[in-house]
Amino acid sequence: MSATVNKPEEQDQSYWAIVKRQFKKNRMAVWSLRFIYGVVFVGIMADFIANDLPIACGYKGKTYFPIFNSYGVSLGISKWPTELANVDWHDLQYDWVLLPVIPYSPQFMDTKNSGFKAPMGTGQTVSSFRFTHFLGTDKLGRDVMSGMVHGTRVATMVGVISMSIAVVIGILLGAMAGYFGDSKLKMSRIRLWLNLIFLFLAIVYAFMVRSYALSDALSVSVGGFMVQLLISGVIFVVIMIIPNLIVPVLKKVPFLGKQVSIPMDILISRLIEVKVSVPTLLLILSICAIMSKPSIFITMVVIGFLGWTGIAKYVRAELLKVRSLEFIEAAQALGLSEWRIIIRHAIPNSLTSVLITIAFGVAGAILTESSLSFLGIGVAPEQVTWGSLLSSARSEASAWWLAVFPGMAIFVTVTVFNLLGEGLTDAMDPRLKQ
Amino acid sequence: MFKYVLKRIFYFIPTLAIIALVTFSLSKMAPGDPVKLALGNKDNGGEAGQAAEKIAGEKAYNAMAEKMGLHLPTFYISLSTAAEPDTLYKYTKRAERETLQRLISQYGNWPQIEKYYANIRKVQYAMYEVRQDSTTYQPGRELNNQVNGLFQLYKDEEILASLATMKDAAALSPAFTDAARAIKQLDESYSAVKTNATNAKNYIPVIHFFGIKNQFHRWLFGDKPWFFGEEKLGQSAGFLRADFGFSYSDKRPVWSKMKDALPWTLLLNFVSIFLAYIIAIPLGVWSARQKGSLADNIITFILFLLNSLPVFWIATLLITFLTTPEYGMNWFPNFGLGDIDSEMNAWDVFTERAVHLILPVLCLTYGSWAYLSRQMRGGVLSVLRQDYIRTARAKGLPDNKVIWKHAFRNSLIPIITIFAGIFPSAIAGAFIIENIFAIPGMGKLSFEALFARDYPLVFTVMMLSAILTLIGNLVADIMYAVVDPRISFSK
Repeated sequence: MSATVNKPEEQDQSYWAIVKRQFKKNRMAVWSLRFIYGVVFVGIMADFIANDLPIACGYKGKTYFPIFNSYGVSLGISKWPTELANVDWHDLQYDWVLLPVIPYSPQFMDTKNSGFKAPMGTGQTVSSFRFTHFLGTDKLGRDVMSGMVHGTRVATMVGVISMSIAVVIGILLGAMAGYFGDSKLKMSRIRLWLNLIFLFLAIVYAFMVRSYALSDALSVSVGGFMVQLLISGVIFVVIMIIPNLIVPVLKKVPFLGKQVSIPMDILISRLIEVKVSVPTLLLILSICAIMSKPSIFITMVVIGFLGWTGIAKYVRAELLKVRSLEFIEAAQALGLSEWRIIIRHAIPNSLTSVLITIAFGVAGAILTESSLSFLGIGVAPEQVTWGSLLSSARSEASAWWLAVFPGMAIFVTVTVFNLLGEGLTDAMDPRLKQ
Repeated sequence: MFKYVLKRIFYFIPTLAIIALVTFSLSKMAPGDPVKLALGNKDNGGEAGQAAEKIAGEKAYNAMAEKMGLHLPTFYISLSTAAEPDTLYKYTKRAERETLQRLISQYGNWPQIEKYYANIRKVQYAMYEVRQDSTTYQPGRELNNQVNGLFQLYKDEEILASLATMKDAAALSPAFTDAARAIKQLDESYSAVKTNATNAKNYIPVIHFFGIKNQFHRWLFGDKPWFFGEEKLGQSAGFLRADFGFSYSDKRPVWSKMKDALPWTLLLNFVSIFLAYIIAIPLGVWSARQKGSLADNIITFILFLLNSLPVFWIATLLITFLTTPEYGMNWFPNFGLGDIDSEMNAWDVFTERAVHLILPVLCLTYGSWAYLSRQMRGGVLSVLRQDYIRTARAKGLPDNKVIWKHAFRNSLIPIITIFAGIFPSAIAGAFIIENIFAIPGMGKLSFEALFARDYPLVFTVMMLSAILTLIGNLVADIMYAVVDPRISFSK
């Protein structure tokens, strides 16, 4: 380490470096971030932390890796060896075995410990301490701690999937509304007209004509649906390219070439207002309720598609400020294209405030998902989430562990994301702190 | 100011139109045949019923479809392919319509498909004529099953298999001669569908216009005359004239069900919001005045935690620990509103209700209370930084006067935004709380309607809360201007 680093005047004075330093001063926020890393780790590794399959085992002289094998089976690329197909993993006579920390999967019904067994082993009938249900069991003998671990995975996925969708839509629409305003997006008449006509055709040929292919694929598998969706996407893009190839020729005609401006800001602001007017919970509930097959993924996607307004508002406000700054004018003077300016220059300068909305947004998404699964809407019955665990407490008052632990997990995770959001807010605007 | 309000009301209309469209399309996408749901999901014309019974069932279905306006086209315009006829909406049975659409998407020749479908019906009617005896019972049953199933088949191999089974069954008894002839016709018409396929028509988009006699228009504006003209039986007044249709589950008008539920939701919401404001505003001001002190730090932290406490967790905890004898703290009744009988006097009724409402109100209050206090504290703090506060202090005004006379009014602005949210939350109900504590308010009503697929109720609640949110936003904007004269809307 060189000696100059410690001198404050030599420190990196870029905006991000300052934000980072400010953030690090906030111990609560730093610990929250570390906790979030932990949650994500547990979420990703859930199968290796709580599972009734062993991580590795020796059985009849051969070595197996059952958890990896189960991934292979569910992807359809491998099969169970005959001696391991349809076995009760807890009753096998292993030569040696490496079990996960919690030797139960959330769906595994421990028939000997069914009917709400209290935490920490008292009253449980287990073969050894290793198999204790540390947080108790539910009515069917399913391990609560394992459910908590796998609930962490659901929460992580809700955070990632819902927020990515919300962020992409929010930034895109917010940036267009803020940067273009009502008068800056200009195009020739012919480009506008042709694009609208071809947009109509693209929707017809990519989605309407193919609607049965899409819905049939969705009823079979999510993967097949994605492939069909991709094909539709390609058709859509190809059709949309056509008018933009013709336009440069037709633009030469004076009447068709006249520039018209598109009121982006009005259109998008109105869209936001419509979205905000409909009560989100009720809308999500109705959408999830009309799904013929409840699935946690659809719920996440719905939450994401309905959660972009906050981000869009933020980005719009930021870009309204940014677009009149000198460096944008400089970029325009250099003749860069509008989209390049938006994506490379304008959006990165407003991302800091977006981070704040993301932190709060993840907290909101997790809360929404857990209230939905608490109400039993939008999740398949066999899916274990924090919300579904908590709701099982309503059937048995004496099972306090079902009321306390899952709720605690939701509370702590939501709080931590809120703390992170607060920390980021403080770090980005140090004046507010004083 | 007046101009601003007018402008906002003008914007109100397109927004409302979009919300109506979204609500309407969601209600159209909801699974299940609405007529069957409204008729109580009875499968009309079951396998062994008498011909008369089946025809009566058919009639009841059509009458109900007409009552619900489902004999009309869906919307003012429709976008379809050239293969699809614009009269497809006349097939009121949803399953049949969807099967026909499938067939059209496969073969694209409506005249042949229409004939094929008519022939299925002919076989069905021919089967009504067959007298039941010991020889015809078994094959007749099989034939009826196949015919009823055929209305919903669109895959080639399934249709062929079904036709083959029908032919075999019809050959078993001389009583089936009419049916066998009809089946032969059906078979021929199906091969005609396949041989004369015009698939290219499926790739030509066509827009049909239907005028104002359509389901959307009927739902929103009604088909009853607005001012004069003769009313006919079975006409709807439409959503805008407060005719929300009738509930599928008990056939009562939606409005009358909502009228029963609304008072409880309003009571809950107003009590909890009143409490939240009463505690939050002074606490926020007090906390802002003590800024940086230990008390302020502790309160801020507690408020922060309260703000992120999930309400359904707290409710579950309260129910688990305070309403059951398990933990020795059986202090509250666990759900409902208590029993009221005619002999109780007003005071008893009040205490009975109050005891039942304490926990729900507590759950509803703490969250908004924490949120409001934080907003209030933030508002006061940002106002206290302003120059005019420094001026007020500099000229020697006492601290109390500075805070309450100069700072308080301006720091109310953020609080007003939240007040606008009361309207929608009042109608959508404290969804979760009402369900956990089994309070018969709007939240419980719409939740149960969701599960019972009672869609008119669900989408009415959704539409009404959207309208109330819009009004709430408008009211909030106007109140801004009243509280803070610096805000001007004349751009």
